[in-house]
Amino acid sequence: MSLPQFTLLRPRTLQEAVGALGKHASNIRVLAGGTDLIPSMRQKLFEPKYVLDIRQLAELKGVYHHPGGGVSIGALSTLTSVEHSEFLRKHYPVLSEAAATVASPVLRNMGTIGGNICLDTRCLWYNQSLTWRKGCGFCIKKDGDLCHVAPGGTKCWAAFSGDTPAALLCLNAEIELASESGVRRMPLRDFYTGLGDTYRTLQPAELLTRVFLPESLADYRGAYRKLRVRGSIDYPLAGVAVVMKRSNGQVADVQIALTAVNPAPVLVKGIQQLLHGKAVDDQLADAAAVLAAKTAKPLTTSALTPEYRREMIRVFTKRVLLEISGQWPVVSGR
Amino acid sequence: MTNDDFSIIGKPIAMVDAAGKTTGAGKYTDDLTMSGMLVGRILHSPFPHARIKHIDTRRAEKVEGVVAVITGKDAPTPYGILPVGHDEHALAVDKVRYVGDNVACVAAIDEATADQALELIDVEYEVLPAYFDPEEAMKAETNLIHENKLNNIEKDYHHVFGDPEKGFAEADCVAEARYIANEVTHAAMEPHSTLAAFEIDSQTGKPGRLTVWSSTQVPYYLQHKLALVLEMPMAQIRVIKPLVGGGFGGKSEVIPLEIIAAIASRAARAPVKITYTREEVFWAHRGRPRTIIDLKTGVTKDGRITAVKARVVQDGGAYCSYGVVTILYSGALLGALYDIPHIQYDGYRVLTNKPACGAMRGHGTVNVRFAFETQMDELAAKLNLDPAEIRQRNLLQAPCVTINGLRVQSYGLPECIEKTVERSGWKQRKGKLPRGRGLGIACSHYVSGAANSIIRSDMPHSTVNIKIDRDGGVVVYTGASEIGQGSDTMTAQVAAETLGCSLGRIKIVAADTDLTPIDIGSYSSRVTFMAGNATLRAAEQIKKQIAVAAARKMNCPVEELIFRNDVVSRKDASVARAPSPADLAENQPTVSGHVDGQILRGSLQQKRKDEGPKTSMSFEEAVVAAIDFHGALTGTGSYAPPPAARGGKHKGAGVGPSPAYSYSAQVAEVTVDEDTGEVTVHKVWAAHDCGRALNPVSVEGQIIGSVWMGMGQALTEEMVWKDGMLMNPGLLEYRSPSSVESPEVEPIIVESIDPEGPFGAKECSEGSLAATIPAISNAIYDAVGIRLHEAPFTPERVLSALRAKTAHKKIDLTEGVDPTAPIHFREHGGALWFRGKGPERHALDPARRETRAETGGDD
Repeated sequence: MSLPQFTLLRPRTLQEAVGALGKHASNIRVLAGGTDLIPSMRQKLFEPKYVLDIRQLAELKGVYHHPGGGVSIGALSTLTSVEHSEFLRKHYPVLSEAAATVASPVLRNMGTIGGNICLDTRCLWYNQSLTWRKGCGFCIKKDGDLCHVAPGGTKCWAAFSGDTPAALLCLNAEIELASESGVRRMPLRDFYTGLGDTYRTLQPAELLTRVFLPESLADYRGAYRKLRVRGSIDYPLAGVAVVMKRSNGQVADVQIALTAVNPAPVLVKGIQQLLHGKAVDDQLADAAAVLAAKTAKPLTTSALTPEYRREMIRVFTKRVLLEISGQWPVVSGR
Repeated sequence: MTNDDFSIIGKPIAMVDAAGKTTGAGKYTDDLTMSGMLVGRILHSPFPHARIKHIDTRRAEKVEGVVAVITGKDAPTPYGILPVGHDEHALAVDKVRYVGDNVACVAAIDEATADQALELIDVEYEVLPAYFDPEEAMKAETNLIHENKLNNIEKDYHHVFGDPEKGFAEADCVAEARYIANEVTHAAMEPHSTLAAFEIDSQTGKPGRLTVWSSTQVPYYLQHKLALVLEMPMAQIRVIKPLVGGGFGGKSEVIPLEIIAAIASRAARAPVKITYTREEVFWAHRGRPRTIIDLKTGVTKDGRITAVKARVVQDGGAYCSYGVVTILYSGALLGALYDIPHIQYDGYRVLTNKPACGAMRGHGTVNVRFAFETQMDELAAKLNLDPAEIRQRNLLQAPCVTINGLRVQSYGLPECIEKTVERSGWKQRKGKLPRGRGLGIACSHYVSGAANSIIRSDMPHSTVNIKIDRDGGVVVYTGASEIGQGSDTMTAQVAAETLGCSLGRIKIVAADTDLTPIDIGSYSSRVTFMAGNATLRAAEQIKKQIAVAAARKMNCPVEELIFRNDVVSRKDASVARAPSPADLAENQPTVSGHVDGQILRGSLQQKRKDEGPKTSMSFEEAVVAAIDFHGALTGTGSYAPPPAARGGKHKGAGVGPSPAYSYSAQVAEVTVDEDTGEVTVHKVWAAHDCGRALNPVSVEGQIIGSVWMGMGQALTEEMVWKDGMLMNPGLLEYRSPSSVESPEVEPIIVESIDPEGPFGAKECSEGSLAATIPAISNAIYDAVGIRLHEAPFTPERVLSALRAKTAHKKIDLTEGVDPTAPIHFREHGGALWFRGKGPERHALDPARRETRAETGGDD
């Protein structure tokens, strides 16, 4: 499958990059690692006139600790660098765990944390070649006005399939967006719309530049569990991230986020109320798991049945809660 | 003879083509380029079943850079790999029969131009009702996929051997169930690729001779079909097979692009190369069909099989392909593994509006073996017998001819079972592992080449020529196709061992129809047995010529000579020695030759140097001596299976017979996560009887590869369908196991030394695969007590079966198909909005796309 024709722009500074974005906002795609963009372009899911290759912007690479002010991670930091950062591994283990599960080692060497946050939503009826999509009729997300997953519906249900955003949501991460008119900072949770097609609030002329982790959540226990058929390569079919702080054996603070089962990565609402001030036991973990499963709305956008994927949200949530409360043998899971 | 009697056979030797592949220097078809070469791209059908009313290529032809646009009318002759199945056209003539069927081809200066032109070909379709489920398709009376195939049945066979009713009456215990194996494909690393080029005839100025480079397992069949469709004499067509990156059966017949490239090249008057995208590879398919197996087995209370009855329905896709052979193998290979006195077989190969299924590693036997070996395990459990032992109680008494006419001469199955049981610690560990962990055993077998070729004739199946010239280099000309399985290495080993020369002397010229004699190809695991025997015969013939000359030099009878390690010596001479450099220098021949019976100067000189009869000569000396008498040495050998191996007389008896069968027994150790249904395979002990391992390291590689591929079908690989749309036409969503899932595989070589195989060898590349799937399903049973009757054993199927046993709240994890008792195939959830709507289905979409494209932009 050939790539569509495009003009490659290679800015050397952030200034140049946002300048180009401003100029061609309606017809440009950003290339960071390219691991998702290039295959999608071959499938003619994107046929932009310009591709903005930002890989030379060194200022957007690296993990920096600002004592007292948390951590900033450049959007161009590779997933491998996030996975292997000793600092993150020690203080924000949920993030390094999530980064370590993305795709395969080779793809993590290319793919970036910014790309994982901005990752296009996925659906078996969408991530197909032009010929294939013609065959079954174009859908809401691209060129059509119907949904194969929820027939009769007008909403797109393509599933958000990044791993790290679930961990980042748990960590109350914020992101920095740059454009010609300056930078703005927003909580990551406000970045996603919950719709499969217009899944993020990124403006066409904006570039995701940094991710911030608050100091207050450093050293929380945390874990990420990913459902996939193979132990490598696969996108998540369901993912659960949990962070927790305990005091005297009781839950002082907790967050659970899900990915790959909704059009956006989502925090499980009400989990704090359910677990706060209590010691996690089997029964409580069960209740939390049921709550998480209720938050998941998987549809037939991927392999494995929706019912199974929702059930795994329940199973994984329970396991992870017990695991990080020290009540389950820790298994390095898939 | 033991392996110590050989210098090269039985030794672990690196593949002779390894360096080219590992350094990147080796050339695959897509690496080839020619000046003026065009790129071909194919337009595929978006409909599963439709009549083509009109094709207008004018807009596409006008695109700058487009040289030719061809359609079905440019080559309307139908073809197919089987003489009974000439039902395909390179490009559709009247109808398209699956999503992905070939409609037109553009040859252009580059891929982007060709892609752009494809969008501008206007095709008017009349959409027809389509069939996606074989049992539904069999009920159809109108809108048949092929007019001449009533009820969409490609072929059905009904075989009865012995008296099955009597057999079941004698049984103490009978098991009967439906098993379903979902569809899998080869997923060879190299996508199909073909480069076709015509020479311009100097007399007429028109396209003359055709040369085709193609990633094929069957160059000769390709030459044959090209001649048929292009209406050219075979002698005007040369097929060359460059390096091939795996076939597994997917390249064992003529694939549309191979003919399309040639037609496009003729129309464009320029070389045309077509390389499939991965999606096109999935559409070309020819993989293992979805199969429904209704199996009934009767056993006595001590575990002896009394009768087997199988009804098999294969979802064959839209064209015949190898289908008739597949459905026959499924029945025939019920025999020749165990001693079964009575067999009834009803097989249906059914057409559906999906890509054609064909031959895939373990052709025809794998899915039925899954059902059979699982049912054996169920019977063992019912009778409270050890699963290994019930198999041991049903062994053949070889040599024998089975009830369905298969001749078995060498039979290493008993040793295979013994060794896997011993190495896996079966007796000590089975049933004693912690909950969630289990062991399972299963057996399988396969042919070492089909005894009857698909084109019925008396033609030898393999012919090999060898030429040796004065340089002492041995050139072996073989039509056998190296596709990564080690064919060239095997050929070199057999030639070198027979001639007693070093491997470095051997040069292989293979799979080029201008240079090499006919070999019917690399499929049905036939190459080692058949091309190996042909090589052996050719080498022996040439060796005789050398021996006559050498015997004169050494003044001894021919029978006294031993050829080994580059030395020809007399039996009574002590250990054969390798020639010293001084010897070699002394024996370097000067200019010499053999003209009109005269021995020329060089050899006379040499003769002068000789001082009396020698006790040994270097290989080169002997060769030179022989050439002095005969001219350049040539030998030829061919192989055709003996009549006794060609099977019975019943309809369909031609498929299944083989000169020899390989045997395999495997034990798998798995754990099952009872909360998630995830299955992990920890280790597989795989014993395989390959007759003699000509190259043990290569045999081990084939065993490990078979187990791994079987594990893919057992756990993760499945083509997912929704109304004829393949939901996962790529290696991201079609999940072959990654290195993370690869278990430890302990290959155990069993050598039964077949009386007719070359040095006693049989096949080693396919037979092991079929045992892996039931070994895993039986291990899952041992671990957690569930019997899965539907493969692959994906986590939701396993969990569904586990949950059915517990008091858990009922959740429909598998979309209504119970994996322990499946009734029909499962379709991927979601709904195609157009289902049954016919032609209006597309009314909106393409138009919308075009208007959008003008305004541009995404998001």
